[in-house]
Amino acid sequence: MVKYTKIEFLAACASTHVRDGENVFGGTGLPLLAALLAKETHAPNINLISEAGFIDARPGEVPLSVADSRYYYGCSASIGLIETLGFLLQGGRIDVGFLGAAQIDEYGNLNTSYIGPFESPKVKLPGSGGGNDIASSAKRLIIMMTHDKRKFVKKLDYFTSPGHLKGPGSRKKWNMVGGGPEVVITDMCQMDFEPETQKIRLMSVHPGYSVQDIIDNVMFDLIIPDDVPTTPEPTEEQIRIMHRLDPHGVYLGKGD
Amino acid sequence: MASIIMLKVCQLTEAEVMDKIITLKEAAKMVPDGSSLFWGGFGYQRAPIAFAAELARQKKRNLTIHTCGSEVDLEIMAGAGVASRFEIAFVAIEALGLAYNMRRRVAEGKVQVEDYSNLAMAMRFLGGALNVPFMPIRSLMGTDIVNKSRYLGDKKLKVIDCPFTGEKICLVPSLQPDFSIVHVQRVDSNGNAQIDGIIGEDIEGSRCGKKLIVLAEELIHEDEIRFRPDQTKIPAMYVDHVVILPFTAHPMQCHNYYDYDLEHLMMFHKLSRTEEGWNEYLENYILGVDDHYGYLDKVGWDRLMSLRAKKPLGY
Repeated sequence: MVKYTKIEFLAACASTHVRDGENVFGGTGLPLLAALLAKETHAPNINLISEAGFIDARPGEVPLSVADSRYYYGCSASIGLIETLGFLLQGGRIDVGFLGAAQIDEYGNLNTSYIGPFESPKVKLPGSGGGNDIASSAKRLIIMMTHDKRKFVKKLDYFTSPGHLKGPGSRKKWNMVGGGPEVVITDMCQMDFEPETQKIRLMSVHPGYSVQDIIDNVMFDLIIPDDVPTTPEPTEEQIRIMHRLDPHGVYLGKGD
Repeated sequence: MASIIMLKVCQLTEAEVMDKIITLKEAAKMVPDGSSLFWGGFGYQRAPIAFAAELARQKKRNLTIHTCGSEVDLEIMAGAGVASRFEIAFVAIEALGLAYNMRRRVAEGKVQVEDYSNLAMAMRFLGGALNVPFMPIRSLMGTDIVNKSRYLGDKKLKVIDCPFTGEKICLVPSLQPDFSIVHVQRVDSNGNAQIDGIIGEDIEGSRCGKKLIVLAEELIHEDEIRFRPDQTKIPAMYVDHVVILPFTAHPMQCHNYYDYDLEHLMMFHKLSRTEEGWNEYLENYILGVDDHYGYLDKVGWDRLMSLRAKKPLGY
């Protein structure tokens, strides 16, 4: 039996959703680790892009910032933000983007801006960054979050980045370039979206959790299919590679 | 005889006025209270930290800061009360966590943030540089970035039906701030500025402000510029003033020159958790030193030299 932490499970699980040959917006943190792991395992030919301007990047260790020089060495082009978020992303050339969030609703809409009412916010969060652009224009979106009931809300405190908005037809109304979220991966389960309603649906539960655990840890009505499999565990090789990429445990060391 | 001396003095003074190279103190002094600034650098890269600290030492107030995403520099300006308005897409200390100074100032109502996305801000700078009133983008629509505004009201952005296709499109207003502040690796005495690594939004940003102040790590000879003209990302004709200053971005990084100082960065982030901690940092590293060199002395030259970039990595 492979030993793993929740964070390692989350990153390894997310990496399986990257397909070989794709143009991937990696960002930083766990999403980047997931993308790099995919590149080192089943998807060696992905084109890893950072919104700061790095294209076809091959960082030997995880960058701390989207603009980190660790992204530069070994990349094939180093340009700027209009290039990546404009020509590439808005141009419809990005296959997959990764996003995290402080809150998500049942349509996969995301809040990364404020906790509390907008008029008198309790907590100022980082904001959109490139998140709204990625959510609007990447062909598909992988959302990664640590699981906490308070994050899976009926109504967002602030709507920063579009998921499927109000359901079928919403993205078309706003003429969006991208297709919206495909999966939500947490340290408890994987979720996808029911095609007819575009609402979040349970996809698989990680070992050690039941379907009821997931239902108890979201604040909206989660769609539960008849058959909910257990998520496959990460391999020893995946865990070894992740620790080589994050030798100081900057990302893997957080949480347990 | 006296008149000859007078003439010489005049010539000298004249020559100094013509010279674009000024000190950090002089550069910050040019920025009146209430000014609007494009703020260069992106994430950890080429952040004009030294300029933010000097604005704090000179007790500047009520500035409006325009940028995509910045970190320690925005924290300094929010924390020290230098800037009261920010039109930005992102503020945090990536990999470490939330921007605590900004969080406190927003909760106190002392700072107002008008939220955009990175592409939206970059397009606002591009529009300003192109001297057109707005730019169209395909992000933001359907979200609270369109629906909610802090102080710009209906001047924040507009969603319209495209006059050509009839499809929905979002227009963001162009920006031509009073100053653009950009940190680069190298500059010659004419102001030709070279940037290594990524550009972020600094091509557009450097060209949108009414005046451009460039901070550079190194002064190089004009021959080097002419030997590698493709490295000139900001031609001299845009540049009004140049400040030559080592370790301008510390504790952040400057590609090919030095890496970030993670220990200092973590200390900064930890102290900024509380108002008391932040005041301790502000007093120790910003207000309690005479200038940027005083700050560098405080950090320590052994430490600074250990951060120098190793070839060929660039960090």
